[in-house]
Amino acid sequence: MKFPGLWAFVVLAVAAFGAASAHSGQRALSQPSGNPSQVTFNRDIAPIMFRSCAQCHRPGEAAPFSLLTYSDAKRHARQIADVTESRAMPPWLPEPQKLKFADELRLSDEEINLIKRWVEQGAEEGAAADLPPLPKFVEGWRLGKPDLILTASKPLVLPPQGTDTYWNFIFPIPIQKTRWVKAIEIRPGDKRYVHHANILVDRSGASRAREAEPGAGFGGMEIRIESQVFDPDSHLLFWKPGTVPYVEPDGMALRLDKGTDLILNTHLQPSGKPEVIQPSIGIYFTPHPATKFPMLLQMENDLKLDIPPGEKNFVVGDDFTLPVDVELLAIYPHAHYLGKDIQAFATLPDGTKKTLIHIPHWNLNWQAVYRYAEPVLLPKGTTVSMRYVYDNSEENPLNPNHPPARVVGGNRSTDEMCHLWLQVLPVNFDPAQGDPRMALQEALSRHTVETNPADFEAHYNLAAMLQAKNDLVGAIKEYEVAVRLRPQDATGNNALGAALVAAGQGEKAVRYLEAAMKVRPDYFDAHYNLGMALAGQNDFEGAAQQFQLASKLQPGDANAEANLGAALAEMGRFAQAEAHFERALQIDPNQPIAKENLDALKKEMAGH
Amino acid sequence: MGFWGRGMRCGLRWSFLLLLTAAVAVWGQTALDLDGHAANPLAGHSDKAVVLIFLRRDCPVSGRYAPVIQQISKQYAGSANFWLVDPDKRDSAQDLRSYLADYNYHLPALRDPDHALARLSHVQITPEVAVFNRNRQLVYDGRIDNWYVDLTRARPAPTTHELEDALRAVSDGKSVTPAEVRGVGCYISDLE
Repeated sequence: MKFPGLWAFVVLAVAAFGAASAHSGQRALSQPSGNPSQVTFNRDIAPIMFRSCAQCHRPGEAAPFSLLTYSDAKRHARQIADVTESRAMPPWLPEPQKLKFADELRLSDEEINLIKRWVEQGAEEGAAADLPPLPKFVEGWRLGKPDLILTASKPLVLPPQGTDTYWNFIFPIPIQKTRWVKAIEIRPGDKRYVHHANILVDRSGASRAREAEPGAGFGGMEIRIESQVFDPDSHLLFWKPGTVPYVEPDGMALRLDKGTDLILNTHLQPSGKPEVIQPSIGIYFTPHPATKFPMLLQMENDLKLDIPPGEKNFVVGDDFTLPVDVELLAIYPHAHYLGKDIQAFATLPDGTKKTLIHIPHWNLNWQAVYRYAEPVLLPKGTTVSMRYVYDNSEENPLNPNHPPARVVGGNRSTDEMCHLWLQVLPVNFDPAQGDPRMALQEALSRHTVETNPADFEAHYNLAAMLQAKNDLVGAIKEYEVAVRLRPQDATGNNALGAALVAAGQGEKAVRYLEAAMKVRPDYFDAHYNLGMALAGQNDFEGAAQQFQLASKLQPGDANAEANLGAALAEMGRFAQAEAHFERALQIDPNQPIAKENLDALKKEMAGH
Repeated sequence: MGFWGRGMRCGLRWSFLLLLTAAVAVWGQTALDLDGHAANPLAGHSDKAVVLIFLRRDCPVSGRYAPVIQQISKQYAGSANFWLVDPDKRDSAQDLRSYLADYNYHLPALRDPDHALARLSHVQITPEVAVFNRNRQLVYDGRIDNWYVDLTRARPAPTTHELEDALRAVSDGKSVTPAEVRGVGCYISDLE
C-alpha cells in the first residue's frame, strides 16, 4: 500500500561562511608604522580585505574582481568606500542581535570608517613591512577529494539577457545501499552568475518526472516533493557566494538511500553574454549513521498574502507554539521581491522575548541560511513568531509590476512568499513517547489548519501525519476536507482512497481512486490502490487489470508484480500467477507476499 | 585644464573642435583605436549625433548592459554613431577585442588610457554614456536608464530611458532634460 504524504516543500540548505579564509592577518593597528593618522592599505585596509572580502574577491570565486593586492583595491577604492558605507558589502542582511550567528560577515563601524578615511586620504599603499601575509586559501574541493563527485549531465545555457532564471539540476545518486553523508560541497557552475543554490532531497523520484528527458533539468523557483512515509527533511544544504562546505555535527549525518535524487535548485542572473552553467556536487560519506534527528519546521502564511497595489506596509505574521523542547540550530527566512522588513522572535514560557533574526532591508539576491553560533534552547511552550512586512508600492524599486498590481502568494518570482524554516533538534524527550518530530509536525499541521481552514496542503499534511500514527479515522476525516477543497487533485483523491482501503472501506475508496486516475491516467499509486480496493471486494479480474496497468507504469515494482500474481492465483490462473511471483522475486528476493504465495502455489499445484 | 570644463557644453563650434583635437594630440592625451592609432570620435563632419559608451571590463554592470547597448545602437544607427570607450589603461587592444567578441558587440571601440574622452564627456561611472549633438556639443551624460538601483539591486526592467530620450530629443532638435543623471556601476576615477 502506498501512502504518499505531501510534505510541503522544504528547502534544504547549508550556509557557512568564511572558514576557508584563514585568518592570517589580524588587524595590525596595534603596531603602527609611519604616520599613524595616515590610513594605509598595507597596515589598515589589507587585514579587512583579507578577512571579510577575499573569500569571494579572488580568482575563481563569485566576485567580479579580486581584492588581494594594493593595486586590486586601489582600482576599486571609491567603490569599496561606497558599498561598505551603505553596508551593501560584504553581503550580510541581519541586524546585530544578542543571539550570535556563526561566521557573521559584518564590518564594524570602525572598519567602515577606516576604509572611508583611506580613500579620502588618497588610498595610499603604505610601508611594505606593514602588509600581512596573504590568506591561505584551499584550492579545489575544500574538504579534500570527495568520496563521490557528480556533475550535471546537461549544462544550462544562460541567455545573455532577460530576467533572473531559476533552474533545477537533478543528480541521481549511484549507490546500492543506504549511505550517510557528513558534508556536500556544491560547485554551482560559474560562481559569478549563480546567486544561490539549494539542495533538496527527493526520495520519491517525483522531480525526474518533471524533466523533458532524463538529465535535462527543469525550470522553476520552488519544488514540491511528495514523501511516502514520515521522513521529514532535516538538513539545510545551501550555497551562496563565499560558502564553504558545512560539515554536519557528529551524529547528524544525512541519509541517502538507493534511488534518492538530489535536486540542485539554482538562482541565476544573466551576465550580458551567454554563460554555460554546469554544476557539480562533491559528497563526503561517513561510516557513522545519524543518532540525532533534526527537523526542518516550515512556518508559512502564504494564504494571507493578498497585497493591494500601492500598499507600502503589508504585514503578515504567524505564531506557532512548540509542543516539545528543541534546540534551534539554524534559520532561513524567505520572501520574494516585495519583502521589506523580516523578523522572527521567540517568546519563552517565562515571558522572555528573544530576537531570532531581524532583516530590516530584505534582499532576495542575498538570501541565506543563518546558523547560530550556539544552539538556542527553546523549551516546550515557546511561541515562535514571524512578522514580515511587504512593500507593493512604486517606491519599492524591485516591485515586479510597474505600475504595481495585486500580488498573492505563489511559487513564481512575481508571486510573493512568507516562509520561515527553522532547523530544530528535539531535546529532553522520552523516546518511549514516540518520535518527537511527529509531535512537532502534527502540532504544526494542526496550527496551519486552524489558521488557514481552506488550506488544502495543511489538511493533507495533517491527514498524512495522522495516518503515519495509524489514526485512520482522523486521517480519513482530514483527507475528506482536503478533497472537498480540491476535488480535482489526484494526490488528494488517491490518498483518501488509500486510507479508506487501509480502513477496510474499499467500496467507498473506488470513486476517489477513479477520480485520481481521471486526472492522472498514468498515476501508478492510484492503479495500485484501486487494485487493492477491488481485490478486497473479491473482484480479482478488476484487481488483476489494475495491477497489470500499475506494473506497466513502473515495471520494476515488486509489490505490483506480487499482487498481480495473487489476483491471478485467486482466479485459478496458476501458471500466470507463478510467472509474476517469480518476476517479483527477481526484483526483490525478499518480497514477502511473492515468497509466501509462491510456496503456497507450488503446494497447490503439486496437490492437483 | 579649464578648457575641458563644463563650459564646453554650450556653444562649442566644430571649427573649435579641430583646435581641441590638436591640443589633445600635443599633450599626448588621446584615445586610441584597436590598432593603436590616435582616434577622435568627435572629429569630422556628420549629420549624426555621437554617443560614447564607457565600460570597464571588470565591471559586472557594464557586462549586463551589453545586449541593451547593442539594441539601442542598432535602433538608432540612422541618427547616431556609437563608440565603446574603455578608460582602463591596463587593458591592451587584445583584451578589449576579446571582450567585444565575448559580449557579441558589433560596435567600434576605443581605448582611453588617459581619460581624455572621459573628461570631455563628464562621465564618472561605467556604464555611462555621453551624447554629442551634430555640432559636437555635449547634450547628455550619465546613465543609460534606471535599471540598477544600486550595486546589488536591479529593477526587473528599467522604468526610465535617459539615453533613448536624449537621442530622440537630439533628432527632434530639442534640448535634453535632465542633461545629466549619474549612473550605478564602477568609478572611472578609481582607475587613475
